[in-house]
Amino acid sequence: MGLSARTVLPGVLAAALACPLLGAPAGERFREANELVRAGDYPKAIALYGELAVSGHESASLYWNWAQAAAARGAQGEALWALLRARELDPGDRAVVRDVERLREALNLDPAEIAPEPLAGVGRWARRFRMDLLAVALVVLSLVAHVLARARPRTGGGGGLAWAALGLGLLAASIPLAASLARPTATVVRRGAPLLDAASPTAETTGSLREGEVVPVLESSGAWLRVEDNAGARGWAHVEDVRRLDTPPAPPPD
Amino acid sequence: MRTVDRGSRWAPGTALAALLLLAPAVAGAFTLRSEVDARRVGVQDQVQLTITVEGSGAPDEIPLPALKNLDVVGGPFQSTQVSIVNGRMTQSRSFTYVLQPRAVGSAEVGAVQAGDQAAPAIPIEIVAGSVRPPPPRRQDPFGTDPFGDPFEEVFGRRRGRAAAPKLLVQAIPSRTRLRVGEPLVLTYALDTQTSVADLQFKEAPQFAGFWVEDLERPQTSPSGEAVTVDGEAYRRFPVMRKLLFPTKAGTLPIPAATFRIGLARQGFFDTGGVVERATKAVRVAVEPLPEAPGFSGAVGRFRATASLDRDVVPLGEAAMLRFRVEGSGNLKWIDRGPEVALAGARVFPPQAKSDLRTTTEGIAGSRTWEFVVVPETSGTVEVPALSFSYFDPGAGRIVAAETAPLTLRVEGGTVAVGLPAPPKAGARATGTLPLRSDLDPHGGGALPGRTVALLASLALLLHAGIWGASRLRGASRRREGRAASPRSVRAALRDLERAAGETASKEQAASLVEKALHEAFGDVPDEDEGERARAVRALLDDARFVRYAPQLGEYGDKVKDLAARAAEAVRKWA
Repeated sequence: MGLSARTVLPGVLAAALACPLLGAPAGERFREANELVRAGDYPKAIALYGELAVSGHESASLYWNWAQAAAARGAQGEALWALLRARELDPGDRAVVRDVERLREALNLDPAEIAPEPLAGVGRWARRFRMDLLAVALVVLSLVAHVLARARPRTGGGGGLAWAALGLGLLAASIPLAASLARPTATVVRRGAPLLDAASPTAETTGSLREGEVVPVLESSGAWLRVEDNAGARGWAHVEDVRRLDTPPAPPPD
Repeated sequence: MRTVDRGSRWAPGTALAALLLLAPAVAGAFTLRSEVDARRVGVQDQVQLTITVEGSGAPDEIPLPALKNLDVVGGPFQSTQVSIVNGRMTQSRSFTYVLQPRAVGSAEVGAVQAGDQAAPAIPIEIVAGSVRPPPPRRQDPFGTDPFGDPFEEVFGRRRGRAAAPKLLVQAIPSRTRLRVGEPLVLTYALDTQTSVADLQFKEAPQFAGFWVEDLERPQTSPSGEAVTVDGEAYRRFPVMRKLLFPTKAGTLPIPAATFRIGLARQGFFDTGGVVERATKAVRVAVEPLPEAPGFSGAVGRFRATASLDRDVVPLGEAAMLRFRVEGSGNLKWIDRGPEVALAGARVFPPQAKSDLRTTTEGIAGSRTWEFVVVPETSGTVEVPALSFSYFDPGAGRIVAAETAPLTLRVEGGTVAVGLPAPPKAGARATGTLPLRSDLDPHGGGALPGRTVALLASLALLLHAGIWGASRLRGASRRREGRAASPRSVRAALRDLERAAGETASKEQAASLVEKALHEAFGDVPDEDEGERARAVRALLDDARFVRYAPQLGEYGDKVKDLAARAAEAVRKWA
């Protein structure tokens, strides 16, 4: 009965080979990437940061350092993407917000060009002030008050508290709900990234995207995203040129 | 002698007007002209072709245009003229050729092209023989009047200029021995005994080996300053001042500068005239500066200060370090700021700002280098004393001015690990990237908006469920024959307790009993013949009896009995 060592061991080894991070804690890998940055080996450092992000160790610090390495490498679009991703994860990080502004100005972008979805800003605000937890707490409070009011009708006040808490809870819940209606966005990380008329490398180029510009993602197909630039032009762009802000980076292709 | 007389009749206004014409040069685009002195000449005559470029930006060489039926027999003769009119300096260069016709007929000087400017071709008619008058005999413009003076015969004396006027131009250096980088004021002055209408450089002065700054013309009396040169009295007018900084050691010559001076008309028949005068060349002995490591090249007297725009800065924000040098000397030369290297902070290359003005003592004012400092760790960042070395001519040695050390306190954030050691002195610190040292755990993120909405919906459903369950329980009770809810039962029992109390009158007590029975059992239909209905109806009848019965005795016991029976019925059936 159960699994024998003969069957478990190959599985563990396969997992270790499949996941290079299994052998080292994420913190060590992170510091290793930092040392690579200090040594000036930015490509390797960025690859290491990418591995950490793909393996689920996303954090504002990770993307902050990624942005520094990308900026030092001259990839300002990628640096802006990393900072925006850091801002998504920790909207209250003031240093990230400040560096986003600095890079935006360096890329000569209008504020609206990195914020095409106003509801996304509402979402960051809701995450920063934890409207989700507030809403859940309020509706739980309303339920408790309601139950108490039913169980002990003569204690008084339970009914009013339940209704007030329920109203506030629904109001608080409406903010993240509204933010969830925002279209996903992505950042152009390559200068002059082409906008194609189809999701194919052989498609016709209909225009080009500005480095650092944040564009709404209309749909995705494999390694292609259909986006709309700030001028209203719609087309397909490759995920290596345009990186999504709402999800961790995709693992590198084999 | 009229010339002598004119020496005492100054026309200071005229002279001053001429002097005011001198002002700094203004650069502009050039124009091109091509002219001949005659369009119809004999085959034995000569034609003078003059190509003139006026303004700046013209090429140094103007190619000779194509010539038809003409040969060049002289030239090119080049002349340069600098004129200052209404404060605007214009420079023109002329290339003059002497052309000889080949044969009778038509000739042409082709179009001239220089840069983007062009002058059109000029046709010339060549006739036989010579048609040009012999060239006039060159006369001294200050000699006899060629047309004569009609009043000369009447008054018995000549009214023309009998002799060249006494005019001198001087280049006067403030000193002739100095060190590299020290300022020298060179004043061009006009010493004159006559009125002057115009003054121009024939050749602009050259100052090879000097850094040149313009100085404002000194304020002088309209009648000038009385001076004696070689025993003769003159009036001196400074016309231009230059501030020169020698850039190399050795004996540096300041070549002579030639002026064209227009003389004012002295009478109705006097046509004035133009004379040329040149300054004497000046030689300046320049000594080298001593050499020392870290010497900035500044010469003068300076003071250095350093400041931070704030004492405390949050981690992740920047502070501004300002290094300011102020004083007088050759500060304009100094482009390079101090080398700043700070442990624990990234220092960006500085921006230099200047607030300088040119004085006879040198270039005075201040120069400020602004460094953006981004701390990479919390704690304190020490700004060491910054040094600025300069040559003090008064002391004759190199002096190092040092600023006071500063401290920048950095608050908040995590301490970065692996900060690089401070760079060695002399190496520019570009700092390291402001990396974060720890992979802060991601807080799990916020609940998705739809999840929150789902939870809120679930809460609404639960509220509805609680409310529905309550209603269902009431209905169930009714189905079981338990007319009242527990709350109604409790309320009914409380009313019955009050009815049994001593304080209520029989009417109040009966009313409370009725209310309690209605609360507990509601309306009891008359057709209901059940035990409960009969008991409730009997209790209601008793209550009405007690309420409406005349007050003929004590009803206390009756009321208590009624309340007790009603309470028993409520407990039993409600």
